[in-house]
Amino acid sequence: MAKTSVWSDNRFWQRSAGWITGFAAVLLIWLTFDTAGQIAMGTDEDLKNGVTKRVPGPTVINYKITYEMSDKRGHEVPYIGGNDGKGGSLFQEKQKFFGRDDYSEEEAAALLHLGKLGSQTKNCMNCHTLLGNGAYYAPDLTKAWLDPAWQDDGTMQAMTGKSTKEEAMAEFLQHPSTYPTHARMMPDLGITAEEAKGLVAFLKHMSSIDTNGFPRNFGKIRGAVNGK
Amino acid sequence: MANNHLTGIGSESKQLATWYFTFAAILFGAQLLFGLVAAIQYVMPGFLFELLDFSVARMLHINALVVWMVFAMFGSVYWLLPDETGIETIGIKIGKLLYWVFVAAIVVVVLVYLFVQVGPADETSIWFIHEGREYIEAPRWADFGIVVVALGFVANLFLTGTAGNRSGIVTVLMADMIAFAGLYLAGMFFTDNISVDQYWWWWVIHLWVEATWEVYVGAIAAYGLITMIGAHRKVVEMWLWIEVAMLFGSGILGIGHHYFWIGTPEYWWEIGALFSALEPLPLVAMFIHVLYDWGKTQGAQDATGVEVSVINNKPAFTWFVLNAFGNFLGAGIWGFFHTLPQVNLYTHGTQFTSAHGHLAFFGAYATILIGMMYIAVQGTNGIKVMKHTKSSLWAVSMICGGVMGMTVALTVAGYVQVLVSRAQMGATWAGYFDGQSGMWFAQAMDWRLVMGAVTFLGFLFLAKDLLSTGKNPVHER
Amino acid sequence: MFEPMTDVVPSFFAWLNQGPLTLTIFLHTVIILPMFWIYKQEKTRLEKES
Repeated sequence: MAKTSVWSDNRFWQRSAGWITGFAAVLLIWLTFDTAGQIAMGTDEDLKNGVTKRVPGPTVINYKITYEMSDKRGHEVPYIGGNDGKGGSLFQEKQKFFGRDDYSEEEAAALLHLGKLGSQTKNCMNCHTLLGNGAYYAPDLTKAWLDPAWQDDGTMQAMTGKSTKEEAMAEFLQHPSTYPTHARMMPDLGITAEEAKGLVAFLKHMSSIDTNGFPRNFGKIRGAVNGK
Repeated sequence: MANNHLTGIGSESKQLATWYFTFAAILFGAQLLFGLVAAIQYVMPGFLFELLDFSVARMLHINALVVWMVFAMFGSVYWLLPDETGIETIGIKIGKLLYWVFVAAIVVVVLVYLFVQVGPADETSIWFIHEGREYIEAPRWADFGIVVVALGFVANLFLTGTAGNRSGIVTVLMADMIAFAGLYLAGMFFTDNISVDQYWWWWVIHLWVEATWEVYVGAIAAYGLITMIGAHRKVVEMWLWIEVAMLFGSGILGIGHHYFWIGTPEYWWEIGALFSALEPLPLVAMFIHVLYDWGKTQGAQDATGVEVSVINNKPAFTWFVLNAFGNFLGAGIWGFFHTLPQVNLYTHGTQFTSAHGHLAFFGAYATILIGMMYIAVQGTNGIKVMKHTKSSLWAVSMICGGVMGMTVALTVAGYVQVLVSRAQMGATWAGYFDGQSGMWFAQAMDWRLVMGAVTFLGFLFLAKDLLSTGKNPVHER
Repeated sequence: MFEPMTDVVPSFFAWLNQGPLTLTIFLHTVIILPMFWIYKQEKTRLEKES
């Protein structure tokens, strides 16, 4: 009989640590391959053929996007081009973006590229949250495109004097301190008209990403004051 | 007396360690200063508006945090290597050269953050100004510099570890530091797909702070217990292996708790929830382990009839015990608060995260690294038994009290945000500002600022003590 | 016996996700089980050494 217990044996724990670490790492890599396939960006083809992607292609900016409850999923999901009534997107209803709804894949991809670059170089993430990650000094931008404040009867759109939400958002981004909404203001980051357009495209695209229902009840409660 | 080999005199590795600690302490001060600026901006939004905006102050706040910790971590390894391996660190000249490369790079990066701040939306800005990705904002050129420095550090560690006595602690550090350096590569690319971007971004952030850094802390705590209270190496190293198993076992797949809402599949809800729910367990184990070993060695000492403390470095050991507790409280409890998806749906992206971040980074890392700084002060001054001074006690109490106060304040602010902005108002722009203007939120931010100032005063005491205590006659030499 | 997948894209892990905890219990089990084997090996070794 061994006098020493295996439980107090260093080799047992060393080997266990090695096994657990190695296997967890292998699982993570496997899961990463699985996830990478699922979050790869879709294409214009997908949108035209009604293929639902977690991250749609850049031409999603040609479509109307809404965020509605899905009975099947048990939470809200983005609907692209209308709701087919069976828990899926219709991919039919278009929505003009800066006066057009026929952006080619290249044009839309270029806009999104510019917008994503802008989101990083302007340091959005160190005040705002994107997909809930970032700083907490300013509102979350995950579904900002769908925010009631920017819609046709919204306060932000009215303030900028523009007639569409994309123009209103672009105007605000270029001259944020001209439109103060609160004592805490967004600083002027030298955003050009073209960059603003890219950033709005980036925001519209981000709102079409399937975030498993985050944020919950986004924009459903209108006109509430102090939570009442 | 636990250790007599703790003398830094004559070891180049230990000299380099003190350089690393010095720059780390300077960056720690910078971190707190920019944190104060950001905290003031919550209370007085006009403060430094369009001069040093919140985004810039916060970027400096969190980057200084990460970098000072990396500096102190490198320093700690250079400090313990000669003790553990029994030989001088191999390639120390290169190590010293890379130190200056690292410092120079950091200074340039900080100056650019401060004086350029933002650039046009193009690749050049990503390469030369910053990448705008929280925690790893460093511009791409600096990324490559960091990789080179990290590789040099890992090479020092591996060459020394294989040539000298490769203890359990050194073995764990070798495996851990290669993963630590390698993971940085996951954050060095640009993509238009923000879901892919954040997926890999978390590989760096999460697998650093909730896996490799935690294991690193386990190894450092093990070294500290052996050198400061003379704990039995075999016992300490067994605990270390158990901690590695539990930390990596829960922490690697625990990354799933960052994949709930970024566009990634639903199966991450389960993986993230249940693996990360186990993350506090090893932290409980570490806490018990430190206190148990302390009690055991002190008990054995008392049994000899000579009642002296087994601790040969009071301030360092204080910080190590605070680490054991702070790690459990900040990373464990405050992390568990919001790790389940049904809770996280509402807490994700609120001050809750910020509360957790403050207490976890402090409790898990700042404490033990400050402890290592004290060990270095002891070693370089040839002190046998190092005692507390008035400053060291003020530093401990003010920094701990300050950080705890900030954490509680931010937690209260988080509650308001969760209830008002999220649950009631559905997270819109209007909902966000309704939450921010609430009385509880505003008061919480006032308290956070006050507690931040307390923390900064504590830092001043700490800096004074680290600089002066080595020559203080109260210590036994 | 098997629940229909709610996840958007069918995959092995989504399939394992049959209801509360199935996926995570499976993964935890797969990680823990081989430790019994390591335990037995080490026990034999210790017995030999003593």
